[in-house]
Order: sequence, then structure tokens, then C-alpha cells
Amino acid sequence: MNKFLSLENVNVNYGNFKALNNINFEMNAGELIFITGANGSGKSTFIKTIAGLIKIASGKILKPSKIAYVPQIETADRDFPATVFEIVITGMQRPRKLFYTRQDKQEAMKIINALGLENLVTRKLNTLSGGQYRRVFLARALCGKPELLLLDEPCAGLDIKSHRDFYDILAKINSDGTAIMIVTHDKGDFNEINYNRIIEISDGRILN
Amino acid sequence: MAEFLELLNYGFVIRALIAGALISICASVIGVILVLKHYSLIGHGLSEIGFASLSIAAALNLPYMLVSIPLMILSAFGILFVSQKFKSSGDNAIAIASTGALALGILINSLNNTGANIFSYLFGSVLAMSENDFWVSIILSILILAVYIIFYNRIFLTTYNSEYARSLGINSTFYDALISILTAFIVVAGMRITGTLLISGIIILPAMTAKNFSGGFLRITIIAGIISFLTFTAGIFLSLAFNTPAGAGIILVNIILMALIFIFKHHDR
Ligand SMILES: Nc1ncnc2c1ncn2[C@@H]1O[C@H](COP(=O)(O)OP(=O)(O)OP(=O)(O)O)[C@@H](O)[C@H]1O
Ligand SMILES: [Mg+2]
Repeated sequence: MNKFLSLENVNVNYGNFKALNNINFEMNAGELIFITGANGSGKSTFIKTIAGLIKIASGKILKPSKIAYVPQIETADRDFPATVFEIVITGMQRPRKLFYTRQDKQEAMKIINALGLENLVTRKLNTLSGGQYRRVFLARALCGKPELLLLDEPCAGLDIKSHRDFYDILAKINSDGTAIMIVTHDKGDFNEINYNRIIEISDGRILN
Repeated sequence: MAEFLELLNYGFVIRALIAGALISICASVIGVILVLKHYSLIGHGLSEIGFASLSIAAALNLPYMLVSIPLMILSAFGILFVSQKFKSSGDNAIAIASTGALALGILINSLNNTGANIFSYLFGSVLAMSENDFWVSIILSILILAVYIIFYNRIFLTTYNSEYARSLGINSTFYDALISILTAFIVVAGMRITGTLLISGIIILPAMTAKNFSGGFLRITIIAGIISFLTFTAGIFLSLAFNTPAGAGIILVNIILMALIFIFKHHDR
């Protein structure tokens, strides 16, 4: 059987600092996995490494070709002058393809509708609520029709209702066969959705 | 007013208006990206290096485009590299390099005994634009706009979030370099209008004013282009009316407009 995602003896350094230390990890297609751990333990580094954003110092990674990554929200520029549609449609960009097709735009609109953002398409980012803002990033990620969806603290700072709504959407996406990896601090999140495993990271290592 | 309209009968006025308007629009469109990326300093650094390149061209008696364009592209890469590698200490490096270039330019000029040229390099002379300069400016502007339109979606994405762009498999460094090259071209083309001292103003100011308007990236970019066109035209007519350097008028009109819009936006209702 083909492996879906596997990391073998993966090491990641920032300068002299060992951010990920000999990581061994496997994930099956369609799984939903939580990644948890203290601040600075290496959760974001782990997920960014899988997204291909960080060079590994050593080790081997096997991964599906279609991965979508939703960054930790703090890293995004909220005051950037862009509309919801302008941001979501960027999820349709591919190497060697400079223009959006009409089909790209239609599909983006479908996803926008599915996430309940249809009345916000021309709104500027800095006029959105926290929950709406997260859904914009989710919509953008879904534009890539990912086999694996990587979410870095997607619900940090949301109220209970928005939390629940967001996890309802994720459950739907997962039930359609998309594997999901969710980084979270909040142990309460584990009650919001059916998951396969919880992985805890501490000081750049996977605990077990 | 009638006298002004009469000016439009002169070829040199028409040439200045057309080339200047096109360059101004290009400059402001690129300016939106520089402002949003917090790369404003790149434009400023390049303009001072532009002055040095003009001086070198004059000293060697070579066409200024021939010297400026390669020199500016090299400098643009250098500045981009330094500012990405060293972050805020990179700003200092750019400040040192660009004032150094300015000093070098002044030195070359004075050794070369072309005091008259210094003035037109520093303050521009759009109304004295030769037919050759005119065509070069037009071609450069069209080239810049074409490249911008072709790569618009990429430029937007990498300006907004270069890390996310990389997660899609897009080479954001390439687009940073592209923006730097376009900025270098704009500086070369615009030096004629405002002079090297003020070129970063026509790049940055309309974009900063446009940012006060609501709307997405495309809308802000179009507004910046319109502001740039209007302030350029107003500046040129001021310069014709009072016989002053056009660049100074354009910059002051921009700043007054920016202040008015700021007051309008923030006044008590
Ligand atoms: N670009 C970087 N350069 C140097 N060190 C970094 C960099 N990014 C992260 N680190 C360090 O690597 C370690 C892991 O960071 P990471 O962002 O992966 O943690 P995290 O578990 O996601 O934390 P949080 O819960 O706060 O988001 C931290 O000690 C952090 O300071
Ligand atoms: Mg993190």
C-alpha cells in the first residue's frame, strides 16, 4: 500500500537551535490528527515542515502532492488592503499558471458559499470578525482541493459558538475524505470533532 | 487659461505630458507594492544611485540609459539582498550605500565640470525632454505595465504573504527580484521628470494617499494611478505657470492632497 504521509528521522534546525529532533511520524489518508504541545515546543515548525516551507537538515519526508497550509493567524497582515475574494482566489494559484480561469472563479465562489462567506466577498479583511477571518483562510486552502489540510491554531481566540461552527465545517471536509492535521493548545477542541489521534510535541520531539 | 491651452500647441509640452503621465502611473502602481511590503526605502536608495549613474554616464559621454539601466538593476538586486538578509540593519546599509552614491555622483560631476547638468539631474527637466527620451520613456512604461499585468496575480500573492505563496510552490524570491527590477526601471524613467531627488516621492506618495480609501488591492492600485495622473498634471501646469521645476510642484501637490484626504477622513462628524 502506498504511504500517505511519513516522516523518517527528520531534523530541523534554526541556526544552532534544534527545533525538530529526530521526528518519526506516519499518517494515513483521511485521518484527522491533533497536534498539541506547549508554546515554543515546535508545533508550527512541524506543520510548516510538512507544508514544505522549512528545509530539513536531515531525514526523509514522503507526502501527498496536494497539501494546503493555513498559517497561524498572528502571522497574517490584517490591515493589508484586500477583499475576501481577492484573498480566497489566491488559493487557485499554481506554478506555471499565471491567470485564473473562469472555472477557478466559479469554484472559489462555490467554496465561499459553502463556508457562508457569500455576503462578504467584497469586504476588506480588517472589517471581518475573527470567525469570518478564519473561514476566509480555510476557503483559500480548500481552493487547492487538498488531500491533506494543515491548520495551525485555526480557532485561537474564537468564542464557543464560532469554534463549534468551524469544527462543524472541518468535520464535513474530513468526511469527504480530506486528511486534516490541526495544531491546537486548547484541550477543549478534542471534544468538538471525531479524531483519530492526538500527537504531543515537546522540545521538538514527539512524545509517546 | 487661454495661455495655458496655447501651450498645448507646443510639441515639447505634449511630449512631457504624455510621457510624464505614463511614467507617473507606472510609478504609483509599483509604489503600492513597495508601500505594502515596507520596501519604500528601496525606491529612495535607488534614486540616489540613479544620480550617480547619470553622473558616470555624463563623465564617460555615454547615453544615460546605457549606463543607468544595468547599474540600477545590479543595485536593485544588491539592495534587495541586503534588506532581506539583514532586516533592519539592512536599512542602515542602504542609507550608507545611497548617500555614498550621491556623494560619488556629486564628485564625478564637479571633476567633470558639468555643474549645469547637476541641476537637471537632481530636479528633473521633463519639459526639456528630447524626442529620444520621450520614446524611451514610453517604451519603458509600456514594458513595466505589461510585466505588471502579466504577473499581477503573483505580485498580489507574494506582496500579501510570501510564505503562503511558497506553500503553493511559487518562488516568492523571483517576484521580489521582479519588483526590484521594475522599481529600477521606474527610477530610470522617472529621473527625467522629478529628478533623482524627488523620484521616490512620485513612487510612494500616491500609494500612501490611496491607502486611505476603502477597497481591495486592485481598487487601491487604480486609485493610486488616478491620483498620480492628476497630481502630475497639476504639478506640470504649476511649473509652467510659475516657471519652477515640475518635480517640486508634483510632490507638493501630492502632499497637500494627502493632507486634505487625511483631514477629511479623520475630522469629527
Ligand atoms: N524563524 C525562526 N528562527 C529561529 N528560531 C525559531 C524560528 N521560528 C521558530 N523558532 C523557535 O523554534 C521553536 C519552536 O517554534 P514554533 O513556532 O514551532 O513553536 P510552536 O509550538 O508553534 O509555539 P506556539 O504555540 O507559540 O505557536 C521556538 O523556540 C521558537 O523560538
Ligand atoms: Mg505555533
